[in-house]
Amino acid sequence: METKINKLSEIEKRNPFTVPEDYFSRFNEHIMARLPEKEIVEPKKVSMWDKAKPWVYMAAMFMGIFFTIQLLTRNTTNQVATISSTQFTDDYWSTVQITEEEFYQYLEEQLVNDGYYDYMYNQVYMN
Amino acid sequence: MDKYSEEQLLEKLRDPRTQRQGFAILVSEYSERLYWQIRKMVLSHEDTNDILQDVFIKAWINIDNFRGESKLTTWLYRIAINESITFLNKKRNQNNVSVDDENSFLLNTLEGDKYFDGDEAQKLLQQAILTLPDKQRLVFQMKYFDEMKYEDMSEILGTSVGALKASYHHAVKKIENFLTDSN
Repeated sequence: METKINKLSEIEKRNPFTVPEDYFSRFNEHIMARLPEKEIVEPKKVSMWDKAKPWVYMAAMFMGIFFTIQLLTRNTTNQVATISSTQFTDDYWSTVQITEEEFYQYLEEQLVNDGYYDYMYNQVYMN
Repeated sequence: MDKYSEEQLLEKLRDPRTQRQGFAILVSEYSERLYWQIRKMVLSHEDTNDILQDVFIKAWINIDNFRGESKLTTWLYRIAINESITFLNKKRNQNNVSVDDENSFLLNTLEGDKYFDGDEAQKLLQQAILTLPDKQRLVFQMKYFDEMKYEDMSEILGTSVGALKASYHHAVKKIENFLTDSN
């Protein structure tokens, strides 16, 4: 009488597959012989310069950036000073009571007077 | 042969001078396990032998790229499973098999295989297993025959433990339905 199987548990749990005798030991030898050769690459020796190179390049880059900023800001400072002195002069004339023309006229008069006094001094005291 | 830990083996595999020696150890430790993993999927000994060789050659070529993010076992199992599924897909295309009849072409392999010594019940079980889709078949084999932990299966297959449990229990139900219908 045929046994009817309804449940998995009614079947013996075993591996029904087999392999040829000595299959695994022969397989291991066979596969190792089949493996392609690989070139053994010796690790490249890294010199001190190669190790230091990135840091040196970075330092040079930062120095360059620093000097560039220095150059750009120095011109700007001079312009600011020039602008300031011009601005001061402009501001000065706006605060004094006389005009610029009157001031130059005063200076010219002083020069003339100084020349007169020199002349008189030479005439009276030096002769 | 002395048993090597995974770290010791990786050390040998990473050094070009000891790589071949390390690989020989890898082959001796894993060839049998991987063989059965493949065999349960493709059934034929000859096909399994071919696929197993491909697995180790691929592993040898790519061992320098192995970053150690997963275990060596996991990595090797994944190669073996991918190669098995690729082989099965190729066979289906060659046989012009319809989607409904996914693994029926493997039944012929089972019938003619001199390296199958199961009784009628074993044969019936294998036929039932063949009705499952590839991934579910894989899950069932790993759990039922290999008694693998779900966590280990999850790492190999990249599927969550919950999904694996569901897949396995569903597989058992399908198989038992097949057995009942065969009576």
